[in-house]
Amino acid sequence: MLVSVKKLNEYVDIKDISVESLTKGLTFAGVEVEECVTLASGTNLVIGEIISCVNHPDSDHLHVLNVNLGEKYGVNQIVCGAPNARTGLKVIVARPGAKLPQIEIKPSVIRGVESNGMCCSLLELGVDSKYLSEYQTKGIEELPNDAPVGEEDVLGYLGLDDTILNLNVLANRPDLLSIYNVAREVGAIFARPVSIPTFEHKADFKTELKVGSETPSCSQFSGCEIRGIVTKPSPKYISEFLMAEGVRSINNIVDIGNYVMLLTGQPLHMYDADKLAKKELIAKSNYQGGFVALDENNYDLIEGDIVITTDNKPMCLGGVMGSLECAVDESTKNIYIEAASFDGASIRHTSTRLGLVSESSQRFVKGTNHFQSEQVIALASKLCRELCEATAVSDIVTYQSEEYKEQVVETTINKINARLATSFTKEQIVDVLTRLQFVVKEEGDKLLVKVPSFRLDISGNADISEEVIRLLGYDNVDMKLPVLPTTVGGLTLKQNRQKLIRDYLLSSGLCEALTYSLVNKNEVNCFNLLHNEEAYQLLNPLMEDREMFRTHILHSLLESVSYNVARQAKNIPLFEVSEMISKKSQTTHLAIALCGVNSKQGLLKEEPYDFYHMKGLVENLFSLLGVENSRYRFDVNKLQGELLHPGRSAEIYFQNQLIGRFGELHPRAKDRYELGKNAVVVLEMNISPLLEAKVSQIKMAEISKYPSVSRDLALLIDVNINSGDVIKMVKMSGKGIVTNVEVFDVYYGAPVSLLGKKSLAIRITYASKDHTLQEKEITLVEDQIKFDLAKNFKAELRG
Amino acid sequence: MENLKVKEIVDRALEEISKADKGDVINAIRNNYLAKKSELMGLMSLLGSMSPEERKDFGKLVNDAKARISEALNKKQQEIANIELSKQLESEKIDISLPGKKVELGGKNPFYIIQDEMIEIFTGMGFSVASGPEVESDLFNFELLNIPKDHPARDMQDTFYIDNNTLLRTHTSPVQAHTMQEAKGQPVKIICPGKTYRRDNDDAFHSHQFAQVEGLLIDKDINIGHLKALLSLFAKKMFGEKREIRLRSSYFPFTEPSVEVDISCFNCGGKGCSMCKGTGWIEILGGGMVHPNVLKMNGYDPEVYSGLAFGIGIERVAMLRYGIDDIRKLYTNDVRFLRQFEKKA
Repeated sequence: MLVSVKKLNEYVDIKDISVESLTKGLTFAGVEVEECVTLASGTNLVIGEIISCVNHPDSDHLHVLNVNLGEKYGVNQIVCGAPNARTGLKVIVARPGAKLPQIEIKPSVIRGVESNGMCCSLLELGVDSKYLSEYQTKGIEELPNDAPVGEEDVLGYLGLDDTILNLNVLANRPDLLSIYNVAREVGAIFARPVSIPTFEHKADFKTELKVGSETPSCSQFSGCEIRGIVTKPSPKYISEFLMAEGVRSINNIVDIGNYVMLLTGQPLHMYDADKLAKKELIAKSNYQGGFVALDENNYDLIEGDIVITTDNKPMCLGGVMGSLECAVDESTKNIYIEAASFDGASIRHTSTRLGLVSESSQRFVKGTNHFQSEQVIALASKLCRELCEATAVSDIVTYQSEEYKEQVVETTINKINARLATSFTKEQIVDVLTRLQFVVKEEGDKLLVKVPSFRLDISGNADISEEVIRLLGYDNVDMKLPVLPTTVGGLTLKQNRQKLIRDYLLSSGLCEALTYSLVNKNEVNCFNLLHNEEAYQLLNPLMEDREMFRTHILHSLLESVSYNVARQAKNIPLFEVSEMISKKSQTTHLAIALCGVNSKQGLLKEEPYDFYHMKGLVENLFSLLGVENSRYRFDVNKLQGELLHPGRSAEIYFQNQLIGRFGELHPRAKDRYELGKNAVVVLEMNISPLLEAKVSQIKMAEISKYPSVSRDLALLIDVNINSGDVIKMVKMSGKGIVTNVEVFDVYYGAPVSLLGKKSLAIRITYASKDHTLQEKEITLVEDQIKFDLAKNFKAELRG
Repeated sequence: MENLKVKEIVDRALEEISKADKGDVINAIRNNYLAKKSELMGLMSLLGSMSPEERKDFGKLVNDAKARISEALNKKQQEIANIELSKQLESEKIDISLPGKKVELGGKNPFYIIQDEMIEIFTGMGFSVASGPEVESDLFNFELLNIPKDHPARDMQDTFYIDNNTLLRTHTSPVQAHTMQEAKGQPVKIICPGKTYRRDNDDAFHSHQFAQVEGLLIDKDINIGHLKALLSLFAKKMFGEKREIRLRSSYFPFTEPSVEVDISCFNCGGKGCSMCKGTGWIEILGGGMVHPNVLKMNGYDPEVYSGLAFGIGIERVAMLRYGIDDIRKLYTNDVRFLRQFEKKA
């Protein structure tokens, strides 16, 4: 809402309050001033008359002017480039020393000719070009012939000596979409008397117009007939005010509608009375069909749209736009003025559906005062007499479905102070409420607070306390930390585990990423390693790329990886933990993408990421959470599709439930994400079961007092035999004295590769809990192991 | 005669020792002069032909000579060992400016740094951490928060809908309603960090996805002074001990009174700079006293219980604290950006 400070001053005297104080006062009271602009500015201005104009001897476009600035400043020579400079023209002159928004004027010599000042356009005074004609923007401003030469209050003369406040009117204060109510608010904040004019309606005749409503969406409808109007331009005070409010002046009739709406907050509509088939205006909301509006477009109306009908035909789309059929134009003589109240929800639906959002429709959507229509029409008809030469004004006919009920809120000083943590006195509170035009009645301890009709937002105790504090200020609030029964705050086990996982991955050198939850419809399943549950789709997406709620993270993470690859990053280890929601389930996922080389010592120790890096992370995650080896396992990846390398990927089972898949990226997938030749390993895991898993407390195990012995074995086995199975077998054959088995070397190359074999070197540790092992004992077990390996895996034992 | 011989041997030995520069030379000298068959030891055989007095003196003489040579040898040997060790150490010198052998620390998106820190601050004050669904019902996102259908405040929060009654939550406030309903009229003290969504076009300061930390405290006799004190403590922990806060009147449908909270600018200390647009204050969060309608709808008697609530934008705090000029940088995951945030405390 734009508010002219000059206009405000007509209703509340704030001339002595600086714009800064005004802005601060409003803002702290909850009426944020977003912006504060002067319409125009300039010092050392004076009105002059060009008394001679000759071409500059040394230029093809400059003129040398002699300008009479009146008695005080006399005649001055000015060099001017405006094409419209001519003898006899009254102009705005900025004298030497003048400060304009863009420049400062100094006496100068322009191509050898002395120049003492500048003739100005309104643009140069800072007026926004949207208010100016093209002609005005191309040359200097042409003042009327009767402009007083020598006048120094040029901005005042032009009506540009105004400051405009741009108020951010919040949803609870639609009343502030009215200059009158802003004046009341300012008066309350600065404790100044406010004088809002009231208008007495003078009727010359009784109208035959019938008004009414057949829909609950229109609770009130007032009409008035006005005869013998003449359309013409508005007087200066109206057009200047409209300009200050950011509204273009059209003609007197249209301008009256806007002027009254800006002052009172009540939108008006005008009908050409002679174009209506009958003298009736009835609001309905059950019309369906076409409607040709003022903008000459045909709109399809549906049930629920409020229409004002004559003889069942729509003459106006209530609160949104009039019909072309009965529009007021230059030849209009007689009009009906409508001031009605429409249901905000209906207007909201209609205006957003048809894309017809206007100052009027917005006011109805936010809420209007239902009980001021007669005052509004009285003002409008008065203006019609003054500006449109109206010959006769009718009485006001009104339909009203609701009675005005005084709203009284009951409260006490204690209740107010308790909510606010303040110690305001009764006098302070009553004073504030009175300033805000509440009527306060004391009844014992109780305060009975009568709410003014324009305040739609006040209904209870809490609202009253807000009124008090927003005017008296939050500086009065006593700061005190709440004293409460001690509660156990902190993180739950689940939340702690999630933090633990994230911290571990960060300490392992991974970067924690944040990606969007909304993805393209075509991509929602394009890197889904875990499940294919149906994803939520938006009814009203902003764009195609953000249409579905993702059910897995990896696609987004791979896009981030791709972004980094395109920027030549060599080491891109990313992870993200995020809530996943599908139509079927709600889980927490962990996704990891490792791309490029893992670096341990700058460039000296680089190693491309591979399957085992990821596997190591997963194994450590289980250990970190206290999940024993026996509760999870890795299995061959059975997922189809070109997502993971079929020979370098695995499934993760936790308590026999598939919870994740990981592996090196399939070459085709690498191409899709444009990851070049980089090594890429990815993981997607549903960590919800892990966050909830029950784990047992650690119990210390006694460490053997007897020495352990390590023996190495080198085996040649089929390349497809998993080393994990070999280790299992060794442990099984180990008869309780094998305490550890580790693979310390694997060789796949020639010549063993030619035989379809690999060479495996394992280290076996033997120990006993109750005695020192004898050489014979170990050899016996070792022979058994060798025998079992040969039997089960056709393993050949080497040197 | 023999005495002179001993002296001559000692002098010779000392001469040779002084010239020795290697460990094996020392060993050879030790062998030459001190072994049983050495010249010096050979002189011991003369003892048999001497009188007891002579024997005593000569024996002492030879023993002393042996001790002198031995001592010189040991000393020299130590010297040579020292030199050799120094040489070895010198040859083993490395370039200490090469990087250490470490697992590089990962960079934490500043979004999470702020989120984790906020959780820490409030759990330290005894708050629990609640959560709620990002796909939410109209009932919880709006109606139970005093925003009925067609309330103009719905325009403040342009919403992504799944269907007429299901939407992506536009704020974390629905968790207030969930928590209150679960608490069944008992006191509540929670925060809820979480992602939220609004139908906004992405630019430097707007994002269709952003996150908030919601706070809710319900008990008897809670007032706005408590809100001010809690948030003042938060501001000091998050932005430094010298920060002050101020409250401005505002409007949210689910609180009454509602406030915007500004903190004194941590860039200029309140003098006014470009960060605070010359005002000395920066808006960081909104809050207020829980609206009596919200309490009532969620099972509390507003005559007995009152509550305070607040919501803090995580990205906004991150951007302010780290001087990040574009919210999209938080969602891009450029590793060069992330690695700037390795510091853990």
